Amino acid sequence: MSLNEVELLAAGADLLAREAAYLDERRWDEWVALFAPDCVYWVPTWTAEGTLTTNPQTELSLMYFAGRGGLEDRIVRIRSGRSPAALPLPRTTHMVGNILPLEKPNSERIRLRSSWTCNAFFPLMNSSHTFFGRAEYELALRGGVWSIAKKKTILENDRIPMPIDIYCL
Amino acid sequence: MGVLSARSYVDDRPADGVFRVHRDVYSDPELFELEMKYIFERTWNFLTVETQIAKPNDYITTFIGRTPVVVMRDAKGNIGAFLNSCRHKGATVCRFEKGNAKFHVCLYHGWAYDASGKNVSIKQRESADYPAAFDAENHDLIPIAKLASYKGLIFGSLSPDVPPLEEHLGDLKFFIDLHMEQGAQGMEIIPGRVAYTYRGNWKMQLENGQDPYHVDTAHGSFMAIAERRRKGQGNTAAQEQDWQKRNNVQIGAYEFPHGHTSVWHDVAEPERRAVYASLDEIKSRVGPLKAEWMVRMRNAVFFPNLQIADQIVPILRTFRPISVGVTELRSNVIGPIGEAPEKRAARLRQFEDFVNPGGYATPDDITVFADCQVGFGATGVDFLQGYSRGIGASQQGANEEAIEAGLHPVSSVKGHRTQNTETGTHAPFREWVRLMEAGMAGRKAYP
Ligand code: FES
Ligand SMILES: [Fe+2]
Repeated sequence: MSLNEVELLAAGADLLAREAAYLDERRWDEWVALFAPDCVYWVPTWTAEGTLTTNPQTELSLMYFAGRGGLEDRIVRIRSGRSPAALPLPRTTHMVGNILPLEKPNSERIRLRSSWTCNAFFPLMNSSHTFFGRAEYELALRGGVWSIAKKKTILENDRIPMPIDIYCL
Repeated sequence: MGVLSARSYVDDRPADGVFRVHRDVYSDPELFELEMKYIFERTWNFLTVETQIAKPNDYITTFIGRTPVVVMRDAKGNIGAFLNSCRHKGATVCRFEKGNAKFHVCLYHGWAYDASGKNVSIKQRESADYPAAFDAENHDLIPIAKLASYKGLIFGSLSPDVPPLEEHLGDLKFFIDLHMEQGAQGMEIIPGRVAYTYRGNWKMQLENGQDPYHVDTAHGSFMAIAERRRKGQGNTAAQEQDWQKRNNVQIGAYEFPHGHTSVWHDVAEPERRAVYASLDEIKSRVGPLKAEWMVRMRNAVFFPNLQIADQIVPILRTFRPISVGVTELRSNVIGPIGEAPEKRAARLRQFEDFVNPGGYATPDDITVFADCQVGFGATGVDFLQGYSRGIGASQQGANEEAIEAGLHPVSSVKGHRTQNTETGTHAPFREWVRLMEAGMAGRKAYP
């Protein structure tokens, strides 16, 4: 791996770590700003035990937003103070690891996969739940900064016992 | 402890304008046991949709109450439904949610069944020294007592003593038609499924669909988002109704026999409904009356386990009681077979936005259900007061809209949107009392 590639992957890993940290620290505006305005944010469903949906235009997703507006909506909701599901807001800790390149990175595009867990404590129910899965990212260099152009999140434990939101994924 | 008579949990005195439900109905584990026995196991339950098992040897697993059931199409294409439990030692024979298999081999000792439920192999039978009495027994999967379909929806009963399905559905057929006749070539469940549990009694979701009163409080954040979207901000792809305009329309509810019910309301912006673009085609096929009703928002309940709702887009949502305080929900979005790609995508966005466990409505609903379940811990305060809105506008039999639609409800209610009638909850509770009473008295469920 060239020095340049190592640097690119480090930049990618840094972005993934910040994405997780901003969610945990509730730095919502900074979190949204990590995504490109025309980003795709996709959480497919499972069609049965072992198969994921592959096309969000013809099959059901847990979440699918074409554009950052969909993420902004979620933040409006969190901040509205009018959503019972987010009162009080669950406390979360994300761990992101096993970051590997999906292709040779270049100075315009980095594609990565990661594994993640999110431990969420729901004060209302006095109980914790671990959401876990993996994710695929496409990062793009926009105006000199790396942004998330595409994120596909796979939720492995999809029999969901708690309401889910962007901060659980 | 010990349970009281079924009637004592539902204070139902129409002459006095009283309808109250005791909170134990949601929280007493003994009542829950009786509900499984006397309701879920003694009446028709919704199982699945025919398009889910379209090909020979397709199968899907589900539950009637707590009873595991597998619905299969055999090699010849006939649909059967069986207890999903091996005749040998009881293990589930089909362990997957769905699939296609000519043979089902039990993973415990290897007994095998074909797609018609017939036992085709008992491992090492020849050397077993089985007695003649064993050979004389039937070893096939046990079929459930009754199985029937209406408009592609498959229903089953563990008890043989139930009325014929169509008689049991009665006027609920009209509301099923409004769902299943939207597509010229029929309707299908769109692939992908969401399954989630909430910490509350199964009747809370059943009632929630009949509860327009909660929408502007529990879903207040959603209205703020919808408002923003109208200014072009946020996820505008998920076209939503204008929740303000929505407040000026008419609302109504019908009570039907056998616990079925439906609330409806008119829409201020019909052009935002998924069905709108196909309305001309639909009118030519099913007539203007049904087409008009398809545009109306509807939320019907097939008692006890299915919500047939079209608040945003048509959905089928099943409730599966796990315990007195835990319920599993499965929501399916249905769409016309052969739907144009851009319409299919728009339908999906609307469903995900509102109905998903990560959408804008459901997480709030299931959180407040959990709040209620905690609140039911307050004992000694007897009856709840959430069933009275709209009683003052209730009339026996059919009202104008019902007569026009050829419906024969037990009672009808109509009013301004903010009447937010709660009378849609009455039919399920009246049937709850009837079935529980019959069960406790040792009578048949259907005389
Ligand atoms: S339990 Fe099925 S073969 Fe023994
Ligand atoms: Fe709701």
